[in-house]
Amino acid sequence: MSSILELNKVTKTYSTAAGEFTALKDVNLKVGAGEFLGIVGKSGAGKSTLLNMINGVDQLTAGEVLAHTDEGTVSIHHMDEDQRAYWRGRTMGVIYQSFQLLPMLTLVENITLPMDLADNYRARESKMRAMHLLKLVELEDHANKRPAFISGGQQQRVAIARALANDPPILVADEPTGSLDSVTADHIFEVFEHLVANEGKTIIMVTHDAGLTSRFSRTLTMADGELSGDMEETSKYDRTGIRRRK
Amino acid sequence: MKTPFAPPKRQQGPARVADAAPQAMIELRGLVKRFSNAAGEFTVLKGIDLAIQRGEFVSIVGKSGSGKSTLLNMITGIDHPTEGHVVVNGTDIYTGVDESQRSRWRGKNLGIVFQFFQLLPMLTVLENVMLPMDYVDLYDFEERPRRAAQLLEMVGLEQFANKLPVLISTGQQQLAAIARAMACEPPLLIADEPTGNLDSRSADMIIQLFQRFVDRGKTIVMVTHDPSLTARTHRNIVISDGELVDEAVSRSLPQLRHRHMLEFTREAEWRSYQPGEIILEQNQTVDHFFIVRSGAVDVVLHEESGQEFVLSRLEAGQFFGDVELRTAQGSIAIVRAGGMPVEMLAVPRAVYLRVMNASPITAEAVSETMKKRWEGVHFADHPRSDEQ
Repeated sequence: MSSILELNKVTKTYSTAAGEFTALKDVNLKVGAGEFLGIVGKSGAGKSTLLNMINGVDQLTAGEVLAHTDEGTVSIHHMDEDQRAYWRGRTMGVIYQSFQLLPMLTLVENITLPMDLADNYRARESKMRAMHLLKLVELEDHANKRPAFISGGQQQRVAIARALANDPPILVADEPTGSLDSVTADHIFEVFEHLVANEGKTIIMVTHDAGLTSRFSRTLTMADGELSGDMEETSKYDRTGIRRRK
Repeated sequence: MKTPFAPPKRQQGPARVADAAPQAMIELRGLVKRFSNAAGEFTVLKGIDLAIQRGEFVSIVGKSGSGKSTLLNMITGIDHPTEGHVVVNGTDIYTGVDESQRSRWRGKNLGIVFQFFQLLPMLTVLENVMLPMDYVDLYDFEERPRRAAQLLEMVGLEQFANKLPVLISTGQQQLAAIARAMACEPPLLIADEPTGNLDSRSADMIIQLFQRFVDRGKTIVMVTHDPSLTARTHRNIVISDGELVDEAVSRSLPQLRHRHMLEFTREAEWRSYQPGEIILEQNQTVDHFFIVRSGAVDVVLHEESGQEFVLSRLEAGQFFGDVELRTAQGSIAIVRAGGMPVEMLAVPRAVYLRVMNASPITAEAVSETMKKRWEGVHFADHPRSDEQ
């Protein structure tokens, strides 16, 4: 399996009133295409900082992050802001604990919005694609509703569909099930598993919930800015989407 | 960034309601909302009438399930009423207006702020603020970033313009959401629990910002749980069980439970009096608790000498009758309408006593008010005859 992401000696230091604080220490990590990677750790362990390095939202202090996609290899932190935003829009879908859907837009409009912003699809095409994505998360019947009229779990599924709008190969999710009950959270995992197995997506998810470990194809633990666990790339699925035996 | 969602061009805009000159910013008339589900039909709003004037800063409070979110959704056009009319800034937004006309209307007339900010995570703070401008197509393409930067300056976030939302604090995210809500300079800002997710310092900043908007002539309607915020608005509207509590009731007896406020609202008789008209004679049997809705009443004592003096002047939101109802005695003083017409709510004795028994904290507050009123006028400026 080839790597889609590679972190080399990534370090992040913040200066605070109390002095320097190292949030990430020399983190090395390879993520294989088609992995469903879980990063588990307590609050303050550095999980979100790591995600912000991977999607280029925040600047690193030292090291580099390489992405190897169909568009070639890029060093995420060596692009300028505009290039990085453009690259991110095509390569990474982001999902957060709070869904951040625009309440005055219908579900289908919420999903076409990133496509219209990125100018990737024609208007008719973006509508059709949005409907396809809603079907993928089993919400096509609610397409013309507004977010206030569906449940929290359904809203998160719409947020996932929105993250997929521009067909990025990588999804990063920060506590996406953090505000959902366990049954609803389970449904979100099914969507993620489907995306990995059938749509060839790579997903990196951080959570504080160590109980979710069994759902990932690989789990790493983060504590005090350092990663530990199985540093080899793995996938539960082969390239045809068939679940591998453990 | 390209202009998303060029709104469809329409031949005609929504119908204007063009009459009475000083128009309310928001007018709700006979608003009913019914939902039906498997369990049957459920009425969430039971005939709401409400007018909010231009430049008013209004808070709406209500328990979970009271209908306050539904009420807000009616004003923003996110949901639609079963019956009745919603007129906002001169437009009857549900009559002869289709969904896309309403969206376009909303973009120009309303700024909306939510508890969870709803910033798009993949856009920078500046791009988030530009979003409504793209949507409404009100400003030149080149002008938008400059205007967005000004809005961010207004909320003190200029140095975060190019950051993504995840890198700023929750208080800052809400400030950015407010800047976005104001992007197209709407006359009306609707805020649903805007400080519900914030620490008190950030909440205070948000309210100060709202007060600045009101000073500039904006109208703000804010749903909140926080009594420290309702104290800073011009009007506080209580909704309970799908009905509005009379504002004179909630203002005069804020300690009451909402359902009791509603009971007073439902059971009270409306009375009106001409200037100078006697409301109660001295020693007259009192069988109601009175709350002044508008105008002012004078509480007057007649002395043996024939002289009279005014014990106190009660204005909107003040009350009388408590002592007489509790002691079952005649009116201690004469109560008379002041120089203006007076509107009054008269709550029947049985209802009043029942609610007061159920709400000792209100009973205590009422008797405290009464005590102060009598102490305050204890003839300091009008000595009794034996002291003369």
